[in-house]
Amino acid sequence: MTELTATVHTSAGGHLFELAGHLDFRNVSYLREVVEGVELGPGQQLIFDMSGLSFCDSTGLTVLVMARNRALAAHAGFALAAVSGRVARIFRVAGLDQVFSVYPSPEAAAEAWTRSAG
Amino acid sequence: MRCGTGQDPGGDRNDNPGNEGAVLSALLEDSVEDLYENAPCGYLTTLLDGSIARINGTLLTWLGFTREELVGRRRFTDLLTIGGKLYHETHFAPLLQMQGEIGGVALELAAADGTRLPVLVSSVVKTGTDGQPLLIRTTVFDARDRRAYERELLRAREDADRDTARLRRLATTLQRTLLPSKLQSVPGLDIAAHYRIASHDMVGGDFYDVFPLSDGRWGFFLGDVCGKGSTAAALTSLARYTMRSAAIYDPDPVSVLGNLNTVMNQEYRSDDPRFCTVIFGVLMVEDASCLITFASGGHPPALLLRADGTAEYRFTPGGQLVGILPNAHFTATSVRLVPGDTMLLYTDGLTEGRPTNGRERYGEEALEAFAVDLAPASAQETVDAMSELLDTFGDGLDDDIALLAFSVSTSEPPS
Repeated sequence: MTELTATVHTSAGGHLFELAGHLDFRNVSYLREVVEGVELGPGQQLIFDMSGLSFCDSTGLTVLVMARNRALAAHAGFALAAVSGRVARIFRVAGLDQVFSVYPSPEAAAEAWTRSAG
Repeated sequence: MRCGTGQDPGGDRNDNPGNEGAVLSALLEDSVEDLYENAPCGYLTTLLDGSIARINGTLLTWLGFTREELVGRRRFTDLLTIGGKLYHETHFAPLLQMQGEIGGVALELAAADGTRLPVLVSSVVKTGTDGQPLLIRTTVFDARDRRAYERELLRAREDADRDTARLRRLATTLQRTLLPSKLQSVPGLDIAAHYRIASHDMVGGDFYDVFPLSDGRWGFFLGDVCGKGSTAAALTSLARYTMRSAAIYDPDPVSVLGNLNTVMNQEYRSDDPRFCTVIFGVLMVEDASCLITFASGGHPPALLLRADGTAEYRFTPGGQLVGILPNAHFTATSVRLVPGDTMLLYTDGLTEGRPTNGRERYGEEALEAFAVDLAPASAQETVDAMSELLDTFGDGLDDDIALLAFSVSTSEPPS
């Protein structure tokens, strides 16, 4: 069974979560704890680097939506980066492709946020 | 933890320490023989041939023998039950001989009055200075408490098994209340459904129903609440009744899903987002065909198996998950089924299952290819084929699966 790893990189601009493996009902509470564990202030940005994520089930979507809601409530930005074709299709079926801002890379996501803020 | 007898030999109380030490030493010296005789365990010394050379009072009391009856007259094995004798001969004695010691062996002693005494026995071989074995020292612990404890454990286990069975019955009952016991029959339409439970301990969150609307139309839905267990069951119930009520006032699929989204958003807490994916539709049978209009809230696309042997997905682009976005967007699409056509709705447990417990998930492409091979097929044939397919997944199903299929009846019902 493929597990999930989540690595957090924190900088002045916000937090970058690198996800790898499968995000599903087995490990969704783990990721939720990781996301809830970071401090987020106005103007900062939450980026999920999804390049290593090969699968995301419906419970996995909840934690992404929760993270997005949390960012919006804190007046912070929320973006997904490097979403694989398979995961992108899951977003499309769930109609979440219209909800998430998706960028080719974390750098592109950060750049877009800086531009919109400046 | 505080332990003590009121005396504190290692402490720093200075009132007459010499006297205190003497009292303690006297107590200890006095007690050596007493400790042997009345220790809280049995002591036994046997010669190499097993005959009892020495035995303490505690063990004599437990067994109900006098010292004279045993010492020099009986062997240790004489005190064992038949089963104990066998075990002693085949395991205990050989191991003791080989290792020089053996510990914690559970045996049963036979008391003078015939009762059995469960004990834990440890033995060590005492050797002389030349290393030759001289005799065997044995301690015997009363294991009645332990047996009682084990019986208690066993009973607790049986209780737990009964509770599990009860929980399963409860989950199954609850599951049944969330699904129609029998699908309504719609004139001119063949309807087939299937529900597969992934775990018998938890109520799943899949649901479906078909129900009459006014003016000869019928409403239907199939959906999947995120999560399992009692919370999912409550949300499933909410979703079912909301859609049925909403459809009475305005059966337009986009409007029904909009209502459901509003209701579920009111239930939703931001720290624990809960949503469902669902297809809601309205169908009408007319002139040997069936017009179906449906909208999807983030649900996997419907699968159409055509009479001409083709098969394809019918997407409803842009339909969003129901219950976590304040103004979720839904779009409707229409399909006309002619005799021989079938529309299949399913939950994502089907495409996310792993065939033959492999690592790869089944996926939408494989499902579509399966449907192409299968078409043309009636609603019942489609559901049966999917059910057989799922049988081959074995343990590779993580999630419950619901299937609901419609096809236009090819023959007139007998009048």
